[in-house]
Amino acid sequence: MSQSPDNFDALQKLLALKRHEPPPPGYFNRFAGRVIAQLEADGAMRAPTWWQRWWEALNSPPVLALSYGAVIVGLVMLGTGLLQSLELEADPALAASQPWLARDSFSVAAVAAPIAELPRSPSLDPTGLASSFNPVLGSSAPPFLFNPNGLRVQRVSYQPR
Amino acid sequence: MSTSVLEQPTAPPAPPVLATLDDRALVRRAKSGDLAAYDELVRRYQERIYATLYHMTANHEDANDLAQEAFIKAYHSLRSFKGDSTFFTWLYRIAVNRTINFLKQRKHKTHLSLNDLDFNAEHDPDLVALISDKTPRREAGLAELQEKLNAAMLQLSETHRLVVALHDVQGLSHEEISRIMDCNVGTVRSRLFYARQQLQCLLSDYLKSP
Repeated sequence: MSQSPDNFDALQKLLALKRHEPPPPGYFNRFAGRVIAQLEADGAMRAPTWWQRWWEALNSPPVLALSYGAVIVGLVMLGTGLLQSLELEADPALAASQPWLARDSFSVAAVAAPIAELPRSPSLDPTGLASSFNPVLGSSAPPFLFNPNGLRVQRVSYQPR
Repeated sequence: MSTSVLEQPTAPPAPPVLATLDDRALVRRAKSGDLAAYDELVRRYQERIYATLYHMTANHEDANDLAQEAFIKAYHSLRSFKGDSTFFTWLYRIAVNRTINFLKQRKHKTHLSLNDLDFNAEHDPDLVALISDKTPRREAGLAELQEKLNAAMLQLSETHRLVVALHDVQGLSHEEISRIMDCNVGTVRSRLFYARQQLQCLLSDYLKSP
């Protein structure tokens, strides 16, 4: 009766007994029918909800997901551009003060127009120092996006003696 | 959890055209709502799925209910099946995971409901040789052996029992089992070795030296 711990021949022969335990006769003839009947009773394939479709779209191949992303970004940019152009049409004063927006809202070149083409502001004028103390009076609109208050920046250079 | 097996009418077999299609084609059809295609898939795998769940539960009614649940759940989840694995492996995973959860819940109320041994068991020389000489009647010996074997299997953990059922009873390869259990082949081998050692200890009275 002794068994080597690494010799499982007798055990495997015993386990073969489990292959001789079939279900009642005819069981498998009816099984598939019961599954299909249950599915039909459940309404078969349930229509997916919107979030299931959305989740599947996210799980789809990367090329498709990227194209979805590109379309969404494009729509957002289009909407922003349209909104800006509508605002400019509604407010001529704003359009006059921000010509780079009024010219063409969708053109990158227009946004990146040379500084020389921009209207000269007193805050940029080296002689217009007085206006820098009161930017509200000095300029009607901020000339630059990154220098909205027309603050002057004086570079400091240090030279060792 | 009990369903009468004999009350249901016998379903007509799937159309012969479907029987020639491979799993991928059948899955594509089933995804678009073709129940006849899914019926063919059920017929292909019902025996293997049922057998695995029966060896896991040692209870016919539970295996029947769990197998049905697995096929129904698989149908409703078909949209999420991307084809990264075979349909067979994917279906096995659904069935096995559901069964492991079920067994954890019923932990303390184990009830054997064993199927009768078929005619061939009495004529298997290996099995006949294992029957104790003390048993006067061969049938009684085999039935007793079947009960002891199933009781010993139930003493294994769910994962160890699953490895034994899939490899030693159903004959699946280590690689196939590793895909079903979502672990590496080394883990399957070590679980199998440990499970066999445990079974050998539990059944030492019934195992004769070769």
